[in-house]
Amino acid sequence: MITAGVDIGSTTSKVVLLNDDGIMAREVIVNGALPADSAWDLFQNTLINAGIQRKAVAAVAMTGYGRRLANFGDMIITEIKSCGLGAVAQTCPAGQIYTVIDVGGQDTKVISLNDDGDVEDFAMNDKCAAGTGRFLEMLAHKLGLTYPAFVEVALQSTAMIQMNSTCAVFAESEVVSLLARGIDKADIAAAAHEAIAQRIGTMVRRIGSKEVFCFTGGGAINRALAKTLEEALNKKVFIPPSPQTVVAQGAAIAARQKLEQGEKT
Amino acid sequence: MNKQGKKKNASSAGARARGQSNQRPSSCCGKVRPASGVDAGPLAWFNDMVDHCLDYAAAQKKQGKHIVGLTCEYTPRELILAAGGIPVCLCGGDEGMIPAAEEFLPSNLCPLIKSTFGYSVRKENPFLELAELVITETTCDGKKKMYELMAGNRRMYVLELTQKPDDPDALAHWIAELRKLGGVLAEQFGVRITAGKIRDAIALMNRERTLRRALAELMKAEAPPLTGCELLNMKSIIAGIPADLEQYAKALRVLPGRKLDPPASERIRVLLTGVPMPHGAERVIKIIENNGGLVVCQENCTGIKPILEDVDAGAGDLMLALAEKYFHLPCSVMTPNRRRLDLLRRLVAEYRPQCIVEVIWQACLTYDVESFFVRRLAEEELGRPYLRIETDYSPSDSARIGMRIQALFETIKEHRTK
Repeated sequence: MITAGVDIGSTTSKVVLLNDDGIMAREVIVNGALPADSAWDLFQNTLINAGIQRKAVAAVAMTGYGRRLANFGDMIITEIKSCGLGAVAQTCPAGQIYTVIDVGGQDTKVISLNDDGDVEDFAMNDKCAAGTGRFLEMLAHKLGLTYPAFVEVALQSTAMIQMNSTCAVFAESEVVSLLARGIDKADIAAAAHEAIAQRIGTMVRRIGSKEVFCFTGGGAINRALAKTLEEALNKKVFIPPSPQTVVAQGAAIAARQKLEQGEKT
Repeated sequence: MNKQGKKKNASSAGARARGQSNQRPSSCCGKVRPASGVDAGPLAWFNDMVDHCLDYAAAQKKQGKHIVGLTCEYTPRELILAAGGIPVCLCGGDEGMIPAAEEFLPSNLCPLIKSTFGYSVRKENPFLELAELVITETTCDGKKKMYELMAGNRRMYVLELTQKPDDPDALAHWIAELRKLGGVLAEQFGVRITAGKIRDAIALMNRERTLRRALAELMKAEAPPLTGCELLNMKSIIAGIPADLEQYAKALRVLPGRKLDPPASERIRVLLTGVPMPHGAERVIKIIENNGGLVVCQENCTGIKPILEDVDAGAGDLMLALAEKYFHLPCSVMTPNRRRLDLLRRLVAEYRPQCIVEVIWQACLTYDVESFFVRRLAEEELGRPYLRIETDYSPSDSARIGMRIQALFETIKEHRTK
């Protein structure tokens, strides 16, 4: 049986195709102005690249912030559930990962799992872009750096600069004043990562999660963020092989489970 | 909605008071389909609640009654009624009023305070414009200081609410405050507030509370006959309107047996707690019910909290009886606020929710801090999943709130099937 998971995020869309042996294909695309159209194009291309027809896919599960924007899915799964399922599948067997930290473009989620890998509790950032991927992208832009360069210089910084603002709006003006004081861009970049990691650390402790961590989402590709997050939690975080497609994979798994349980989609 | 370009006339002011425009239905339950075969009259009646209140207020004023605004459930409506006043709730639920308020108030303030004040700045709440007096109270600091600004061009009276609910001295002070309020009302309106008038007002308010309580208790059923949204929609901003009471009584006759679509058995029972949801700010309850939930109990000031206790109309000391009833309200401004946790224990037992959702208006410090105890009670003692939603009046996070609600329900359903 082949199932597909389509994760339409605020910044990127992801598609994962799953068959009985595991992952057939996984693809990521940066969204255009219309995320639903980007996701549709990506889905089509993924099918072509995998050499299969749409009718060969038993069910398409939509997830992510744009899950209701596109109309080519058979079912809708929340990204919370998808993320839990995907993290368990990609990283370790259930019973070993208890907390998933997902940093996306506009959301940061902390999901606590039970022994069976089911979602037990979750927390998300409220009405605010602080602690999200978007926050780091904005600051990179403010520093006049590409995102990869921003991450790279942050890793090389050795000075400890404190950034007080994790508010995306105020952080920008703080960056301006730090630059005016002649602070090195690398140290500002490191401080921005540090500020986010601390904020995520608070969220993790607030939910009271058990301490085996998995880090997913586009944020987990950022090595500087992974490093500072480990420091903030004082624990190792497992990063799955393809952190950005964890949620799409989880949706494909959920679709498979639903069909196996014989539920109507 | 954009109101900047609208003409200032009576009807658009009314529309604003209703939190309504051409695009927005006046009912908060737009998606709920009508009942199958039974008379939905009482529910429809309250769709035009603000219009009825406006007509009623205008008519009463013509007959020499005085419109009196209030902004908190601690304010005893009985005293206002006994002084020949018509008590109207002025709490703002319209996002569109906030920019005007932010010209004076910090943006990092609760939307309820800002919306209420925005109406005052723009003079667009017809009830506030009709009011001869506004009675306020020292509940949270944000409201308290906002009232000082509002007092610049409104006749206001501030009740000092003491905040140690189990301290006899605190109650004594509260009684003194109510006596002073009685004096202020009597002087302003040139009336004598007799014991007989207070008794009549207590009887009227008891009748209203009894009816509204009975309606709320319909939600205890395995298959409740109305949605939480519909129940909230039946709350009037003017207390004691005879036509409203008739509709409540009628609702109690016709609603039992009504079937919801989708049926209650397919929905997740939710207890809603936290901040009040004034008319126009029912967004979160709508999101919960449009995502497969059924709000069976609303433990907040627009729900069951203020109507649980009646006042003894036969009491020897009527002021004491009134003061005690109102002082028992378990608002998060009280310290410590154990009564709220006791109330939640009781309501969870009676209404059997599958989860507890707490709504906190952004920058509402007291509810925000107190949510620690509510979460602990829910998860550790009552074994109910708990979700805390911090938001304001703007709909920009509706999709994300919906996702969190769906994820909560997904989790509950999964645990149920295992």
